[in-house]
Amino acid sequence: MDTLFITRENLAALTADLLASGTHVAAPTRASDAQTEYRYVTDFAQVRLDGSMPRRSLKELFLPPTEPLLRWRQHQGDVELQEVPTSFPPTVVLGARPCDAAAVDVLDRVMGWDYRDELWFGRRAATTVISLACPGVDDLCFCSAVGGSPESTRGADLLLTPVTDGYHVTVVTDKGRSLLSAHPSRFGALPASGPLPAGPRIPAPGPLPLGQIRTWLESNFDHPLWHEVALRCHGCGACASVCPTCHCFDIVDEPEGVDRGTRRRNWDTCQTSVFTLHASGHNPRHDQGARFRQRLMHKFSIYPDKFGEVLCTGCGRCARACPAGQDIVELLGRIGALAAGNGHEKVEA
Amino acid sequence: MNLYQPHLVRVTDVVDETADTRTLRLQFKDPSVAESFDFRAGQFGEYSAFGAGECTFCIASPPTRKGYIECTFKAVGKATNALRGLGVGDTMGFRGPYGNHFPLDRMEGASLVFIAGGIGLAPVRCVIWNVLDQRDRYGDVTIVYGARSVGDLVYKHELEDWAARTDVRLWQTVDPGGQTPDWHGEIGFVPAIVEKAAPTADNAYAVVCGPPIMIKFTLPVLAKLGFPPERVYTTLENRMKCGLGKCGRCNVGPVYVCKDGPVFSAAELAQLPAEF
Repeated sequence: MDTLFITRENLAALTADLLASGTHVAAPTRASDAQTEYRYVTDFAQVRLDGSMPRRSLKELFLPPTEPLLRWRQHQGDVELQEVPTSFPPTVVLGARPCDAAAVDVLDRVMGWDYRDELWFGRRAATTVISLACPGVDDLCFCSAVGGSPESTRGADLLLTPVTDGYHVTVVTDKGRSLLSAHPSRFGALPASGPLPAGPRIPAPGPLPLGQIRTWLESNFDHPLWHEVALRCHGCGACASVCPTCHCFDIVDEPEGVDRGTRRRNWDTCQTSVFTLHASGHNPRHDQGARFRQRLMHKFSIYPDKFGEVLCTGCGRCARACPAGQDIVELLGRIGALAAGNGHEKVEA
Repeated sequence: MNLYQPHLVRVTDVVDETADTRTLRLQFKDPSVAESFDFRAGQFGEYSAFGAGECTFCIASPPTRKGYIECTFKAVGKATNALRGLGVGDTMGFRGPYGNHFPLDRMEGASLVFIAGGIGLAPVRCVIWNVLDQRDRYGDVTIVYGARSVGDLVYKHELEDWAARTDVRLWQTVDPGGQTPDWHGEIGFVPAIVEKAAPTADNAYAVVCGPPIMIKFTLPVLAKLGFPPERVYTTLENRMKCGLGKCGRCNVGPVYVCKDGPVFSAAELAQLPAEF
């Protein structure tokens, strides 16, 4: 992979070039002193590249919290459907978290198996992702425990690594190279002084025993652990909402007046009781333990089974968002210990 | 066209099966779709009344009858009540077919036992007519169908057709107390009637669909009659939204019911956690 250099001034100029050419630019922005969010920007001054963690993940740029699937209009007993476009304006994400960029690549698997979700892939095709190597956020980060890294290029087209006077630019994909070629004056060769070290890193946790965890999950469906962890789960779904890989959705019709409306897809979560509730009243996942178990199993058993990798990139947002203080790494650690000890760790039933 | 865009279909016939259960016959409005549409017995679709949303039903008519599809549903919620509000000539949405199907190729030459309870006859009826439309390809056909009461039996005219045929053995039953004075069928629960009908398990397959409690007590009867679990099939009715393996709603253990199912053998079901 080629490595070039861009100064902070040139990154600002590149952003201005992109915006001037009609390209949408999304980046971490300051929502408040304490909160960062990915948002579309109109000026480089809004871009926050200080390493603070956006509260929600990058997935909403590709799978919006709500989006139209079609529009209908009725007249005299007949129905006319209006399709929604599946091509999207060119977009650049500036400063994606490596865990967030990787998550988008992980989700390509489910969005593309057999049936191809054109809304997802339309946005993917239109978007160039520039990741920013991560200095680490806090001790709830665990990308390195699930196969990622703070410098991961997965899901990125370009990777920026902060150095004293600017950023090293690693070219990852042809799409990234195209962006460079379109703006050659903004990029330069590496300074003769070579790479400059970034600041101190937060230590990264070692790998979790994902194979053992998966085996344990597959053979402990009725383990008392699920009841115990669910006792402090509100079923609010905050974890799924902020998660970069949780992708469950609902499809609903929203009438707009008497003769027309929009069919939309909205984010949903397996943590609510209505998620699986049958019309008959039967609910296959009848308690919070079953729902909590489903989220863990989808991430660490079902997705690996279908697509060969876990549905988690270790961003730690679920643990930061949980009002009851659930910590997924702590829980996976417990499951790892149960797996290693053949399930003899004491669990309060 | 995005995956979630339905075809427009026109209601061409409405049959009230019971007080709350209705069958709609649907024709594709686009002639090229009507021409090319094909499916296999056991597949399902997403049916929608615009403004009320989509719901998931099997295709209840057989693929051997071209030019239309049918769905049979009970009006229990917002979407099904909106569908119930449609009449002949009205337009609604359909997307599909989705999912796997019953292994009718493998069943050729074998005897077949169809066991259904209540509205569970809908997916089984699709297979029954598929088989009866190609009658010479299959051995003995036995149908055991039950409902809570005489009034809850669906496809009553077709039950009469099947009863009149010499190449079908039909056992109809209602739960004790559900009979009327002129009821000539059996009185008792479906599993007991299956035991009484005692279809041969020799070179035979069973297709079972109905309430979970009926399936639960029917499977041991089939085992006792000698049906190995690999030759007993059912179809799961998990809640779904997309039907395409994306929305994450229909997982049962490792399977996506919409893609890996909805048709499963009893042997496959035994491998799944009890989450359906």
